[in-house]
Amino acid sequence: MSQLPAERYAEIQSHQGYLMRYALAQLRDSQLAEEAVQEALLAALEGIGSFDGRSSLRTWLTSILRFKVVDLQRRAVKERAQADLGEKVSAAVDEGWIDEFFDESGHWRSPPQAWNDPDAALEQTRFWQAFEQCLGRLPAGAGRVFFRREVMGDETAAICQDEGITASNCWVMLHRARLALRGCLERNWFGREPADGR
Amino acid sequence: MDAEAKLNCRAAARLLLLAAERPLDAGELNALSHHLDACFLCKNFSLQLDFLHRASVFYAAGQ
Repeated sequence: MSQLPAERYAEIQSHQGYLMRYALAQLRDSQLAEEAVQEALLAALEGIGSFDGRSSLRTWLTSILRFKVVDLQRRAVKERAQADLGEKVSAAVDEGWIDEFFDESGHWRSPPQAWNDPDAALEQTRFWQAFEQCLGRLPAGAGRVFFRREVMGDETAAICQDEGITASNCWVMLHRARLALRGCLERNWFGREPADGR
Repeated sequence: MDAEAKLNCRAAARLLLLAAERPLDAGELNALSHHLDACFLCKNFSLQLDFLHRASVFYAAGQ
């Protein structure tokens, strides 16, 4: 293939913003969308020789992107199903989710500390960075159900129905999410000595 | 208070977590409040769950 004229290259690049919005609308995940667009642009640059000009360049690019998007959607669904399966299996272990926090006599293994003026944290930018990090560390399913329950304020029953799992497994996912988030904030924010300028 | 209403911390924490998903019944509430009156660790835990809820609402409001 002869070298791509700079003009043609720039023309392809000029559609990147549109392609990104297209991918984002379908995938609803900026990282996946970015990936799809990069793969589509790469395929377009390699296959530009087969572009016959009968459709517009944008239409041609979009048709390539569509394949990449479907591909990534399939991959994401498959990965999500696998991740959820792992969570569901561990959720099904009877009461195991709470036992790790308590000894045989039912006492806290790691006693919850008193958090010093937690509401003051709500005013601090760095607290929200810690909060987001802790949210991000939750297992995928737990993060999803917690976000819907607490951030979006949905009813537990509706969330559990959408997840397609039993109410008890769904509640355990929420319990785990709360315990994990609490522990993460205690370790990463409230456990520290308060410092000035934070 | 009868013996059945006495909770250990594990049972109290379980009720506190359940309370976020469904209303507790009178017996559960009674047992829980007795435990929380006597146990500052579970009281801490309870306050922290309340805080998680408040923080999430703040976050949703675009913090």
